[in-house]
Amino acid sequence: MMKLSASRWGGLVLFLFALFIVVPALIAASGRIDFYFTLTSVAILSIASAGVWLTFYIGRINIGQGAFALIGAYVSAILVTKAGMSFWLSLPLAGLFAAFVAVLIGLPILRLRGVYFAMITLVLTQVVTLTALALPITNGAKGITSIPLPGELSIFGLTLIPDFASLENTRLAFYYTACLLMVLTFAAMYRLVNSRLGHLCRSMQQNEELASSIGVNIAYIRIIIFAISSFLGGVGGAMFGSIAQSVYPSSFQVADSVNFMLNCFLGGLGYVFGPMLGTLVLYFGWDLLFELGRFQLLVYSSLLILMMLLLPNGLLSLRLPGKQGAGK
Amino acid sequence: MSALLQVQNVTKRFGGLTANHDISFDVQDNEILSVIGPNGAGKSTLFKMISSFLPTTSGQVLFKGGRISNRKPHIAARKGVVRTFQETTIFKSMTVRESVIVAQHLRAKASLAGYFWGTRAARADVERFGRYADELIEFLGMNAIAGEQASNLPQGNLRALGVAIGLATDPKVLLLDEPFAGMNHDETMRMVDLVRKVRDDRSVTVLLVEHDMPAVMNISDRIVVLNFGEKIAEGTPSEIQNNEKVIEAYLGSVDDEIGM
Amino acid sequence: MTPPSAGYGRIKHESGMEQILANGIYLGAQYAMIALGLTLIFALMNVLNFAHGQMYVLGGFVTYTFYGQLGWPFAFALLMSCITLAVLGALIEKYLFAPVIKRSSREESTMLLAAGLAFLFDSLILLLFGEKQRGVPKLVDGVFNWDFRVIMPYDRILICVLAIISIVTFILFMQYSKTGRALRALAQDRSAAQLMGVNVDRYSMVGFALGAMLAGLVGGLLVTITGVNLGMGGPTSIQAFIMVMIGGAGVISGAIAGGIILGFLEAIGLAVLSQYGDITYLLIFVSLMIFLAVRPQGLMGKPWG
Repeated sequence: MMKLSASRWGGLVLFLFALFIVVPALIAASGRIDFYFTLTSVAILSIASAGVWLTFYIGRINIGQGAFALIGAYVSAILVTKAGMSFWLSLPLAGLFAAFVAVLIGLPILRLRGVYFAMITLVLTQVVTLTALALPITNGAKGITSIPLPGELSIFGLTLIPDFASLENTRLAFYYTACLLMVLTFAAMYRLVNSRLGHLCRSMQQNEELASSIGVNIAYIRIIIFAISSFLGGVGGAMFGSIAQSVYPSSFQVADSVNFMLNCFLGGLGYVFGPMLGTLVLYFGWDLLFELGRFQLLVYSSLLILMMLLLPNGLLSLRLPGKQGAGK
Repeated sequence: MSALLQVQNVTKRFGGLTANHDISFDVQDNEILSVIGPNGAGKSTLFKMISSFLPTTSGQVLFKGGRISNRKPHIAARKGVVRTFQETTIFKSMTVRESVIVAQHLRAKASLAGYFWGTRAARADVERFGRYADELIEFLGMNAIAGEQASNLPQGNLRALGVAIGLATDPKVLLLDEPFAGMNHDETMRMVDLVRKVRDDRSVTVLLVEHDMPAVMNISDRIVVLNFGEKIAEGTPSEIQNNEKVIEAYLGSVDDEIGM
Repeated sequence: MTPPSAGYGRIKHESGMEQILANGIYLGAQYAMIALGLTLIFALMNVLNFAHGQMYVLGGFVTYTFYGQLGWPFAFALLMSCITLAVLGALIEKYLFAPVIKRSSREESTMLLAAGLAFLFDSLILLLFGEKQRGVPKLVDGVFNWDFRVIMPYDRILICVLAIISIVTFILFMQYSKTGRALRALAQDRSAAQLMGVNVDRYSMVGFALGAMLAGLVGGLLVTITGVNLGMGGPTSIQAFIMVMIGGAGVISGAIAGGIILGFLEAIGLAVLSQYGDITYLLIFVSLMIFLAVRPQGLMGKPWG
């Protein structure tokens, strides 16, 4: 199905090996168990950032992913705590609901461009937060807490995923889950970008009029991509809520929406794996700078600005000058 | 036999300004028809309305009896009426070949999801697209630049690329927007041959908007003349050349672009 | 999200039309000033200054330092706020925005740079002034009380008047001074302005500095009433964006209109809907989204298509 060269397959295997085997080994050896949370967060946030990357792909600036993450988090939390649903079932449902909201909102606003679209998405994040505060079902400011750990997932008596509560090392389990989801997401993105849908998106990104003239229904494609993007946001949010075992209206805010964008930008908007790298650098970097105490934010933001100045096309433009998974 | 493309009483007003007033004419199957007129006559506005990139204020455009005006722009393309643009409208960072492949969007048999999963239909499509792209590139004489990025191409090639992209959709009617603009005599003659070849070999009906009079007289089966948003004449090249109103319109206008 | 300018809800009484009107004017004037700075920057450089709220906070802190801590006269403290922000704005434009605009073809770049700057400003404020809420002694004591129909503390009236004076001065400056005319030309058409001999680089810097200064000035004015703290930056930025979007990005009259409208919406909302909690801002946001979807250029903006 996927035509990859031998070297790329090799790279993939190596990456997966590092991700699933080497990292846990290193963590166990160094005793820095807190890194599990950090890296799990990186994996989850990179999924949401991948969604934002997709909206960039159709030429829109999306500062609203935090809204969809919050929606996803709440949907999953509510389904698990109030309807007793299995977390694994609530996960795709959370994504689908977020996608549904995206379609509703996207229909009127996706035709707008640039700052105008960006501002509406910015307001969207606020709207969702305030709605979460106001609705009874979301428990207002108290949020939804004591969310149980993900339960068992079994089909026909075969246990695919054991009950997290029964596991000794839930951190490792969450890490594996998050990494698996991340790998799936980026594999799907890579495939999408190199398929006809990706070509159409690129054609739209580069010239909407010309794309229309060759019969591309740009409104339709935009909605589809926006829905996929928000699905990813919803899934990321739901996953996050599960790890934190709580969801509050403040779980995802405007700052988070902005951070998702920054992740994409830093990694490189022209590269499929940009969001992954960007999230890793920014989130992990932020954590590493914790030692600096009060100066953490200062150094972080200075480095960020410096990177924007020196690397306007993102980090991946350094290592892969010719190999681009997407146009630009 | 009713005409392939029918422009019926098309009027366009922008606020107080009337760009086109009550324009009507037919385009017959397999003919080359040119729309000419002095600057500001309303040619490009008319063009955009025919291809549904601008809504009409009143009036409609029919293709094979069905309305294609006042709809979303991609619908006209889907029905087989495809327009080209002036040379800066390209897919900048795609190569020539990639552009021609992407442009075959309308000929796809597999669904979008099919491409994602790599179904047999999708793979067959991808092969077809590649072959057709090569065929088209050969047909238009662009073999030498097939692998070049569009943004690197000189102007003359860009125009050919625009035609290639339009042709890749397998249209019934091709709307050419000033295909000879900015070309010297040789380039123009080459383009004229190309357009004729497109009509002859591929049975594509061509509707073009142009300023270059010798080229227009050379290539057109029929000509429609606009002035100040109104149609003032319609006929064969020789009829138009001897039409008093046309001569007056051109001699009377300050922007004289006839006679190269 | 509580609007940073709230705080007059202490006075609990039935708000009649006149009170709402007075509150609306008071809020509207300050908001208009914030919006003006933002819209000027946007008009000149097509950048939405994500750090605008932080500039406002910084202005507040500078005034707090000079007036509240060092005991300088208030007017001088305000002046220091203006100077600090103007200098910072000029430096930022020249050494950060200008290079990024030149180097990057994507329009997101400047937006994200501004976001990064917002973080930077927050970090600086954290280091220099700490996290605590700071306030300064009131400028004028006493409360204006017209028959209990309009109740407004004198210091608010003073600040409101000062804000209005600043706005009028700004408009006159933009209209009649050489710099103002150059800035307007630049905002309307960059290349045309260049052809007319306007030094595009220099005036971009001046414009940005001016926009930043306005934000700082409002901050300095408001620190006397609502105080200032680190957390106000983000919400203020968002409010500024909303105003600019309502009125029309890049248009001066739009900014003022947006500011006044938001001020009145808040005044009305808080008077009428306060029993329902935070619904005011939710309603404002939802209405805004609908409004922008229908009319993205705002009330007075140029059609965007």
